[in-house]
Formats: sequence, structure tokens, C-alpha cells
Amino acid sequence: MSGQSKERSMKPFVVGASLLFFIGVVATVILPFYDEVMQRENANAKIKNYAIHSPEYRGRQVYIREGCHVCHTQFVRPVKADSSLGPVSVPEDYYHDYPHLLGTVRTGSDLTWVGTRWNEQWHRVHLRNPRQVFPGSTMPSYNYLSDQDTEDLIAYLMSLKPAPSTEGR
Amino acid sequence: MAAITSDENKAVRFFFYSSLAWLIVGMIIGLILAIKYVWPDFLVWGAFLQKYLSYGRIRPVHTHILIFGWLSMAYVAGLLYVIPQLTRKSLEHPRFVRSLGIIWNVYMILAIITLSMGYTTTIEYAETVWPLDLLLIVLVAGITYACFKTIAKRNEKQLYVSLWYFMGSLIWLPFLYIIGNIVTYFISGVPQALAGWFYGHNIIGLWLTTVGVGFIYYLLPLLSKNPLYSHKLSLIGFWTIATFYVWNGPHHLQNGPIPAWLMKAGVVPSVLLIIPVWTVLANVFGTMKGKWHVISENVPLKFVVTGAIFYLITCLQGPFQSLMQPSAILKFTNWIIGHAHMPLFAAFSFVLFALFYYALPTLTGRKIYSQALMNWHFWLSVIGFLIFAFTTWTAGVMQGFAWAEGKQYGVPFLEVVISLQPFSIARTIGGALMFTGQLIFIYNVRRSLKDGQLLSLEEKSSSTA
Repeated sequence: MSGQSKERSMKPFVVGASLLFFIGVVATVILPFYDEVMQRENANAKIKNYAIHSPEYRGRQVYIREGCHVCHTQFVRPVKADSSLGPVSVPEDYYHDYPHLLGTVRTGSDLTWVGTRWNEQWHRVHLRNPRQVFPGSTMPSYNYLSDQDTEDLIAYLMSLKPAPSTEGR
Repeated sequence: MAAITSDENKAVRFFFYSSLAWLIVGMIIGLILAIKYVWPDFLVWGAFLQKYLSYGRIRPVHTHILIFGWLSMAYVAGLLYVIPQLTRKSLEHPRFVRSLGIIWNVYMILAIITLSMGYTTTIEYAETVWPLDLLLIVLVAGITYACFKTIAKRNEKQLYVSLWYFMGSLIWLPFLYIIGNIVTYFISGVPQALAGWFYGHNIIGLWLTTVGVGFIYYLLPLLSKNPLYSHKLSLIGFWTIATFYVWNGPHHLQNGPIPAWLMKAGVVPSVLLIIPVWTVLANVFGTMKGKWHVISENVPLKFVVTGAIFYLITCLQGPFQSLMQPSAILKFTNWIIGHAHMPLFAAFSFVLFALFYYALPTLTGRKIYSQALMNWHFWLSVIGFLIFAFTTWTAGVMQGFAWAEGKQYGVPFLEVVISLQPFSIARTIGGALMFTGQLIFIYNVRRSLKDGQLLSLEEKSSSTA
């Protein structure tokens, strides 16, 4: 007897709690997935669609392995704080990004279009000893990376440039 | 009230003690990170340490240990302890649950090793590789099974409000974990970021917050010896949090590459979260009515009430910074670091400290060794956190406005980094005080096991009533 009344009191609860949860999932995870802006690529996405085992692809893996995304973001917003960082990011730019490297914190500066700022030689010096270029910088020294990893990482960073068609967006 | 069986006691204590070990390890890594923020070559003694303790690799280790090792294991311990009390039914499968605890610790060790070796998915709070994700899903499913079975077989007819919160959280946790860790494995680009942030926000909102609120509702009447102010209010709180919290993921990409409709869909529910947090606070203040003087002599009660207040501040601050304009200044700055530590340390860790101090005597039969040390634990935690929070908030506002002035990369950006140094040093000091508080906590617990005064028979029966 009491068992039945107990069950009756738990079922609507379980159903209600699950339903509210899945409404939120549909709205904020599933619907955006099918939004047309998420379903197409643009010229920037094509640049970032690296062939597997190309230096840029391997460099991106180094970027991930060393956790560069922990301190550097890769998205430019239409706000004052991002005004000199280059073209504003759109969803299409990230079509091929797997995993995405948008980031959360700018302990270091944004790297969306870092390829337009420095040259390879600058990166070579800066990655090995950031404080040689920027006295007072808090970035770790990446002098423990192998030459191969360093060159791959630089190739990746240099590839982060907007396509000509998106300049001045 | 059901007496705690010996197997159940062992299972609860295993999770409790494990979580304490992870609290210390996680905070040590947090301190290393804070010092590296000031002195990037700290611990760069030889290539091995430089590589495996590199900032980018151990930052996810810090968050992972404290979310899954400390908070989640302590939460499981709390669930295993509180559910039998509220259902008057001994825990189902206590030995099985204890073996899950052993595997959980193995999971933690594997997670730390793989993350510091650089194996990461980059999805925040879901950085572990997929075999470990599957292992954690099995562990969570096992805990959920034991808890639900206990509730289903309960001897108490009424479902106390804490149980609502526990059951909701146990239903949501496996799903949101799967969305953050498994679904993100199969998608890319911005949709992956949205699925990731759905998880990243809700692991706080629908697991750490909701179970924590359940603990508040359990502890407050017991510690203040007043009945809960309003049962109805707490149910309104439950259903509003279930309705609004799930929508909060997109505000992590505020002003970013997402459609405008989604930004609005993410912000409006953030603001409406005022409702559930207000119901909790109204209930805390209502219950405390006429009992405020008890706070001065009751450290666990002090922890619960302070934790509830920090929870309120979190839920006032969060909606504010998710709005488009404040977000344009505060996003990506130190402000966010201060905000993220508030619910996890100052709100829900505090609730857990109270639960520990309350539950430990009933598990061991001995009182807490030192009241004075409990007070030291409280004040070091509060003052340390306030130093930590105010320095990160101030530093964040400075950063945000400096960037808006155009100091966005190169030498101008570096000037901002250098100007933050005094704040980073102060933050490290705040963190060190927080950590010292926890060392005192551990010492006090350790001493209680051996030298705590034995509970009298009378106290034994009243403490579990």
C-alpha cells in the first residue's frame, strides 16, 4: 500500500526534472547546432582546415598539449576591448576547429590573428625565453620543446591570419 | 532514526577522508599556479619539473582535483550520510559503494597523470580523455543507483526537501556529464564550445549548487534547532533552479561568435536565477530568526550561514557579469577567476566543512578535538578568500578598462601584465591563508579521531535524531 503511494510521489518528480533539463539542452545545445551559421564554412575556416600531419596541424597539437589555450583566447568580439585585434570572429571561422580553442581567460593576449603580428624568428626567440623580448612577461619559457615541436608550433601560429576576403570585417 | 550500519559508516568515511586528501593536493597545485603567475620560473628546476608542472598543463589538474576529487567525493560522502538519515533506511549496497570510492581515487590519479602529460580535450572541466570519462560515468551511475534504491525503499513517507535536491542532481549529473564529455567528442567548432559550456556551467549549477543547497536545508534546522522556515519556498526554489539554470551555457560566449538570439536566451535565465537563490536566503534568514546568537558558539552553523551568503553574492554577481555591457569589460579578466572561486570555495566548500564537523562525531563516536581550531579554520578561510576575491575583482576591472583603451597585444598588453603584479602577489597571500585554514582543518580532524572526547550515550542518540 505505502509502496504504491511512494512511487506515485516520485514519478512526476523524475519526469518533471528531466523534462526541464532537456528543454534547456534543446534550446542551448541542439538548436544552435542546426543554426545555419554553424553549418557552413568560410575562407578563414578553410585556412584552418589543416591537412593531417602538416606542420600546422602538428603545431596545433603542440599548442593543445602544452595548454596554450589555458591563457590565450582565440576569439575577437565586436567590443572596445578587442578593437585592435583584427577582424571580428564569426561562427563560420570555426567550422573545422576540432577541438575548438576559443579559451576563457586572457592571461596572455588574444591569438586569433597572431599570424599578422610577428615573424618566425621573433617567435623562435620569444617561445624559448619570453622575458628576452618582453621583460616582465609571465609566460612560461618553452625551451624544453624539441626543435621539431617548436618549428611546428611556429608554423601553426603563423597560419593564424584572416583570409583576404575578411580583412577589415 | 536509523542507526548507521558499520559498512555504511566505512563507505561514508572512505569518501570523506579521500576528499580531504584531494582538497590538500588540489590547493597545493592552486598555490603553485598562483606563484607561477608572479614568478613564472617557480619550480622550473630541471626539464622534468618544468615540463610536467607547466602552467598550461597543471591548471586543468587544479580544477579537476578540486571539482571531482574534493567537492564531488565529499558530496557523495554527504549523500551517503544524509540520505539514510532522511529516509530512515540504511544505505543500500554499502560495500559496493565503498569499492566505487576506491576506483574513484584510481580515476583521480589517472586523470592527474594524463593531464600533466598533456593529454587533454581542452573542454574546460572535461579535459580528461574519453576512457577516463567512461570510467567516471560508471562510478556516478553506481552512486546514483545506490542512492535511488535507498530512497525508493525508504521508511519515512514524506520526501524531505533536501531529497528533492539530491534526486534532481543525481538525475542531471550523468546527462550533463555525457553532453560535456562524450557529445563534445563528436562535434567541432562553435557548437562544440556551446555543448562544452552547457556542461561547464551546469556541473556547477545542477550538481555542486543543487546538492549543496540540499545540504544547507538539511543542516540549518539541525544546527539552529529551529524548524525549516518554509517548505513551500524551498520547493519553488527547486523548480525555478531546474527551469532556469540549464539555459546558462551560452553566456560564456557573450559577445562572441554565436547568434544574437542565443545570447539573449543565455542572459535572461541568468537574471531569473535571482528567484531560486532568494528562496534559499529567505529560508536561511527565516529559519535563523531568534537563533542568531547561536552562531557565536557554533562554528558549523557559522560556516553554513556564511556559505549561503556567499552563494547569494555569487548569484548577484553572475547575472551582472553575463550582461552584454559588463561582459565586454570583465570577460577574460581576473574578475572571472575571483567569481569562479566564490561558489566552489566560499559557498559550497563552506557548507561541506559544516557537514564534516556535524557528521564526523556521529561516525567516529568522538567529538571534534578543538573548538578553537575550528574557529581558526573558519576565519582563515573567510579572510583568505576575501583577500583573494577582492584582489582578483579589482585586477579584473583594471585589465578590462586597460584593454578597452587599446592595450590589447605586444608591449602595451605587457604593461597591463606588469601593473597586475601587486595584485597577483596579494592573491597568492590570500590563497596561502585559505590553504593554511585547510591544514588546520585536517589536523583537527586527525586529532579528533584519536583524542576527541567520547560522545556520551545521550549525545549519541540525540546527534542523529
